Amino acid sequence: MGSQPKPRKTALTTTSLVAMGVGTALYAAFNVFFNIFQLPGTQLVALRPSVAIPMFFGFVFGPLVGFVSGFLGNVISDAISWGGFWWNWDVGNGLLGLIPGLAVYFLSEEKRFSKPGYIASTVLAVIASIIGIGFAAFTDYIFGYGISTLEEAIYALFLPAAVTDAINGAILTPILVSAYASAVRGRARRA
Amino acid sequence: MAERFIRYVEGTSVVHKLDPRAKFFFVLSVVVCASLAYHLVLVLPLLAASLASYLAAGLPWEKVKTTWKFVLFIILFLSLLNYLFVAVLFHPQRRQLGFEQALEPGILLRVFTPVVKLLTIAVATITLVYTTPYNLYAPALGQMGVNYKTAYVLQLGFRYLPEFVSEMKKTLEAQMARGYRPRGSRNIFARILSLAPLVVPVTISATLSIYDIADAMELRGFGEEGCHTWFRRLRMGKLDKALTLASAASLTLYTLLFVLRPF
Repeated sequence: MGSQPKPRKTALTTTSLVAMGVGTALYAAFNVFFNIFQLPGTQLVALRPSVAIPMFFGFVFGPLVGFVSGFLGNVISDAISWGGFWWNWDVGNGLLGLIPGLAVYFLSEEKRFSKPGYIASTVLAVIASIIGIGFAAFTDYIFGYGISTLEEAIYALFLPAAVTDAINGAILTPILVSAYASAVRGRARRA
Repeated sequence: MAERFIRYVEGTSVVHKLDPRAKFFFVLSVVVCASLAYHLVLVLPLLAASLASYLAAGLPWEKVKTTWKFVLFIILFLSLLNYLFVAVLFHPQRRQLGFEQALEPGILLRVFTPVVKLLTIAVATITLVYTTPYNLYAPALGQMGVNYKTAYVLQLGFRYLPEFVSEMKKTLEAQMARGYRPRGSRNIFARILSLAPLVVPVTISATLSIYDIADAMELRGFGEEGCHTWFRRLRMGKLDKALTLASAASLTLYTLLFVLRPF
């Protein structure tokens, strides 16, 4: 992984800003694509395979990039899909990207893009889905947005969304991380 | 371009002409006040304000009807769901629940207050999205005191969105020309895995382009301190200032009511 500049964990570098912008656009584009261009055969059961995008961006570029990609990507895709947005679901989507990004604090660059990293990305994707969707569902209940009972928050919002997001993230995030690692190695060989 | 996707509708209404910063602050105040409102009586003025701004925008029905279909579906669904949970499944006397108990004012209030809150926030955000051109979002944030680099992230998001959508369409067509068909299996894992040939190439090529874009931006001087100005200078008129003051006043009032709880 030596050919690319190492993403700095805290500073707003130009690379991390562009990563936020590209991650935002990509997440919004995937959401719009899966909403508008419904693929034959997918039957929407996979719901949002795109949740892997902020998770992947967080894992590669750090928690801030992951958070912004998820947050702004969801704001934009909601604005496109139905014309408005709900802040707590946007923050929840941001957390989907932020939590896998924490890997930069406990896994070295080498480990993140090898087997331990792929396992960590799977585990973090599941944790992120639980915390991110949990935040969105329970703030709906706490602030009284649309639902009245804790049971609704759990059974009608949290469980369906968290389980599908966890499955999507746990499958697609390590695939993306592994493909990215191979692509970067290939680029380094060609350079 | 991004305007193909964003649901902005051109217009000459008073809401269209408002400074985006005043509209952002208005939406923020509606969201915060709705979150602090603990009784339907406190939510209704917010709904009235949101609806007034929506009606003042004069948005043509043809352009907004799909949005309203979605919102009304959500409202109906959540109302039924709330009623089911509050009045039927978790009612203290659910075993001997009669018609009268199921229609108690307290229950109806508990069922509909959250739905009215949600509707209030939805109307405020719909008005913002439909009346604010997407290319003013970043300058508005920048001129609200947000760091220009942070505001620029939003601009980049809008800049690359249409490219990635068309990239995905192209990738899907290219993969289908090679015999790719998303599988309609009952197995959710197989179904998600079948999307990988579509998701992976677009994501990886976009991710690798980040370094080239960042280099190009830095070569053009992006990131230098104290030299960034916004091309679009925003100026607040009397109406913008009045809306901002009213938003600030309602924020203060709802915070006080939340703390003091006079009723």
